[in-house]
Amino acid sequence: MTAVAAPAASVTPAPAPGRALTALAVRQVRRGALTVTGICAGMSALVVSMYESQALDPAALAALARNPAIRTLFGEPVALGDPGGFAVWRTGVVLSVLLAVWSFLAATRITRGEEDAGRWGLLLSGRAALADAVRGHLGVVTVVPLVAGAATAAAMIAAGADVAGSVLHGTGLAAVGLFFVAAGGLAAQLFGDRSAANGAAAAVLVLGLLARMVGDGVPALSWVRWLSPFGLVALTRPFDTGRGLPLAVLVFAAAVLLALAVRLAARRDVGGSIVPAAGGRPARTALLGSVPAFAVRRTLRPLAGWAAGVGAYFLLIGLVARSMADFLAANPQFTAMAAQAGFTLGTVEGYAATLFALLAVPVGVFVAGRVGALAADEAARRLTLPLAAPVTRTRLLAADVAAATGAALVLVSVAGAAMWAGSALVGAGLGLGDALAGTWNVVPVVLLCLGAAVLALGWAPRAVAAAGAVPAVGGFLWLVVADSVGAPAWVGDVSPFAHLAAVPVTGPDWPAAAVMTGLAAAGVAAGLAGYRRRDLTT
Amino acid sequence: MGVAALCTENLSKRYGRLLALDDLTLDVAPGEVFGFLGPNGAGKSTTIRLLLGLARPTSGRAWVFGGDAADVAAAHRRLAYVPADVALWPRMTGAEVLDLLGRIGPGVDTVYRDELVERFALDLAKPAGTYSTGNRQKVALVAAFATRAPLLVLDEPTSGLDPLMELEFRRAVAAARDNGQTVFLSSHQLAEVEAVCDRVGILSAGRLVEVASVAQLRRLHRTEVAATFTGAPPDLTGVPGVDGLHSNGAAAVRFTLNGPPAAALRALADAGVATIAVREPSLEEIFLAYYGQDAR
Repeated sequence: MTAVAAPAASVTPAPAPGRALTALAVRQVRRGALTVTGICAGMSALVVSMYESQALDPAALAALARNPAIRTLFGEPVALGDPGGFAVWRTGVVLSVLLAVWSFLAATRITRGEEDAGRWGLLLSGRAALADAVRGHLGVVTVVPLVAGAATAAAMIAAGADVAGSVLHGTGLAAVGLFFVAAGGLAAQLFGDRSAANGAAAAVLVLGLLARMVGDGVPALSWVRWLSPFGLVALTRPFDTGRGLPLAVLVFAAAVLLALAVRLAARRDVGGSIVPAAGGRPARTALLGSVPAFAVRRTLRPLAGWAAGVGAYFLLIGLVARSMADFLAANPQFTAMAAQAGFTLGTVEGYAATLFALLAVPVGVFVAGRVGALAADEAARRLTLPLAAPVTRTRLLAADVAAATGAALVLVSVAGAAMWAGSALVGAGLGLGDALAGTWNVVPVVLLCLGAAVLALGWAPRAVAAAGAVPAVGGFLWLVVADSVGAPAWVGDVSPFAHLAAVPVTGPDWPAAAVMTGLAAAGVAAGLAGYRRRDLTT
Repeated sequence: MGVAALCTENLSKRYGRLLALDDLTLDVAPGEVFGFLGPNGAGKSTTIRLLLGLARPTSGRAWVFGGDAADVAAAHRRLAYVPADVALWPRMTGAEVLDLLGRIGPGVDTVYRDELVERFALDLAKPAGTYSTGNRQKVALVAAFATRAPLLVLDEPTSGLDPLMELEFRRAVAAARDNGQTVFLSSHQLAEVEAVCDRVGILSAGRLVEVASVAQLRRLHRTEVAATFTGAPPDLTGVPGVDGLHSNGAAAVRFTLNGPPAAALRALADAGVATIAVREPSLEEIFLAYYGQDAR
């Protein structure tokens, strides 16, 4: 060895930085990736394998496929006579929304979130440039929807569905996920903080969903579907005509957004953003006077976003209420089928009651997110200064729980009022009182989410948002699966959704509501006890 | 002297197998400026988190002005805190953060706050997300000093400040002392501790190894002595307190002195000293001496 080479020999030659970046990104997404892949593949295969050819005559199926309300809510039913086609109709929208939400959240979390937390300063002082890090991290996340889509297709084929249709459906799911990885990654370059990036990506998702609903429901506007990721996937019609062009458009759009995200990353500073951060501004001192006021202040902005999304959805539901009820009244076969599953769909009230139950999912996720935000503030050490003031943890948590509960009540009221307004516009005759009673009926499930989230805050502070979403998202999926596989009643009864009365058709199930509220209160009390006695996480 | 501003008794904290703080018993008198020293991981921040109720002690107790430190609603009415690593809500401006902390805190002297904002050259109109580490630290410092709370707990408060701002910090501490406030200052800036602190506690591997005034510490520790002689230098081996003996040429010696100097001085005087230079160690040298022998 020469003397010149000696200094280099004392340093272990490092592998290319790309490897280390990939490994870092994989560590941050692998658990969530396994979960979403498992849910997508599992639910699709389950519905395929449990499919029984129902005694529906072709005329009834044709009527179903034509009805604008059905198409608005569940997508255009194509190939319901095929196990695969039925599975796509039954689970396609839910799974693509789930995968889309996970995709953009993961993309913003491991890029902008890590950068926000200051962890990329050290990372990027090495050989990797910002654009490399963004490309590497987004590259890892893009693998996840591809795996989830492939697993879904494979599971459906294994369960007996047609190969071509399964592959098309799996590819569609993957393409939607890919698009939202790109949307999240792009938003993370545009905006300087993670919540703003998430808000932007969520807005794209809600608009895409609404565009799909309008395009499916209103024949004159069916071209709108070409503008929405969900609409493009619907246009592929798996297990039917099976078109590939819409998917090519969607994948192309995702690729353009991804390339744009990397280009923009190369043009900005670490910690900076393309949309310039707000410069100086006068202080807004409203709602800073006390701990409860500050809790309200932190809740208002997310509440406005969620209220807009939930309100728009239920306005649309209200607008198609009459058409839906008329259709069901004219096709007693479906009404009877629904009645077997425990729904009274033949009237506007029955239709409304069925859809109001769905409201528990977004509102439950919202309250879980609020408690999750408190846990995130703690992990980011933002609570250190308030808690060094004469403020007990009990007071801090109570203020946040009260603010989240109040915001949830506002959300359900907005949903009820929007549904009433929509149905009033088409003269469907749903009373405002009935609508509000129906939306308020889901409050016990929402409280369960709050109880689960606070319980996690006390004892497992890293799992707050996930634990809080379990009663709503987990309970909903659980009941769908239990119904689909014809499980014994007690299995389905584990889900809180099995205990929601069909308000406004019937009165609320007060005993069930009391039990759920009691469980929620127990969760809050146990969580508070843990929160008071544990160390803060940083 | 009345009740201690800050008092701990057998305070311990264990994280799994790591004993982060081992049996800390400490009193800080009202009006005192107390420096809390130790290398990274010695348990300084753990101690402060226990004092503030942010972490719960495994055993032992702490009091703030005689009240249980765990009763934060009462104890925190009499203290203000500056964390080592200040995190703020990124969308709130500096002014909004100060407003919030002032209104939920133990009280605020708004005139003094405005003066501090001026002195620390803080731009309050910007969102906290755009602040540098030093600027976030300044927000916390302004908020803490403006409370005029009887006890200030400062955890490495100047690590992000430039020398000019550090000077302002020393002025603010001096003003607090003149005001009768107690200051508990954890720091790595030994010159700063030397400049502002009355008494110093040294923590090592979770244990308190020394509590003394800076002057006492010097006395307790090695003084460097260099002497030249008119004749032959005396043989100082075996003289109590003398250590590290070197002879510089024929008529000069250099050694370090521990403890009372009487015996060594007597030996020097007997030999006919021509010149003598005695240099007290800086706090940094004292600090390094501790961790040289007791490193973790």
